[in-house]
Amino acid sequence: MNLRIAPTLLLSLLLLSSAGAAESPALLRLPNFDSLTERASESVNITLDSTLLGLAARFLDAEDPEDAAAKDVIRGLTGIYVRSFTFEEDFAYPRTDIDTLRKQLSAPGWQRLVEVRSRKEQAHVDIYISILGEKANGLAIIASEPREFTIVNIVGSIDLEKLHKLEGQFGIPKLELEKD
Amino acid sequence: MNDLEDKMRDALRPVGPTDGFSDRVLARLASGTQRSTQEAQARPRFHRANSRWVSIALAASIVVAVLIGQQWRVQQQEEGLKARRQLIEALRVTSDKLDLAYQVVNDPSPSEAQHEPGV
Repeated sequence: MNLRIAPTLLLSLLLLSSAGAAESPALLRLPNFDSLTERASESVNITLDSTLLGLAARFLDAEDPEDAAAKDVIRGLTGIYVRSFTFEEDFAYPRTDIDTLRKQLSAPGWQRLVEVRSRKEQAHVDIYISILGEKANGLAIIASEPREFTIVNIVGSIDLEKLHKLEGQFGIPKLELEKD
Repeated sequence: MNDLEDKMRDALRPVGPTDGFSDRVLARLASGTQRSTQEAQARPRFHRANSRWVSIALAASIVVAVLIGQQWRVQQQEEGLKARRQLIEALRVTSDKLDLAYQVVNDPSPSEAQHEPGV
């Protein structure tokens, strides 16, 4: 009897573990930006999976306000992926890469939270959120400016309030808008 | 009958050793003793040499293990600090782009901002 149960149990465990290791629907398949990296004057390519996030968290100083804020934000996250390119000419990046990403973000589960177009700065920022059940489990930001193109994909349970609190941290001045 | 007795007596009569018998026996005894003494002396020497190599190998293994451990720690620290730098940079970029969105949304000049309904 035990011998009959053992393979079933093993199979169940394998299925459970493979389900656990399955990719989150909030994880975007970012295109290969090798050609952009060559053309860009500056590029940022950050891939932090759960292992690297855990490793980074161990090196954050709880006494340091910047580190403490970072530690607070990444709690519950399983991945942060950033691709950012700065160019010396206007719109030197192809729109096809952005369209590929937008197609992924039109999949069920993703919702556009904010769509911003600035005529003055020619900036275009889209903020998408992935919702599973009633909880946010992913965030994507696509920001395109004439000389800059950025994609941010954050995977895991996200507290938008904490992200908003990042403002004023990491060298970003606190937003003080002047109104005419 | 007498003939048989004579034959038996002749066969069983005491015979003296050949010449040099005792010398040969003594020589053999002496060589045997020497060989066993040599073996007895060689055994601890072999053990001593063996145990010396074992100690050297053990010490070398400990040194190698310590060096590998130290190297691993240094590597972990480098990777950890690199991951930390990347994390701070990623959060800075995220914050920067959220900041851009807030700026555009709050900018009084003409812009198009949409908040998707129901979110």
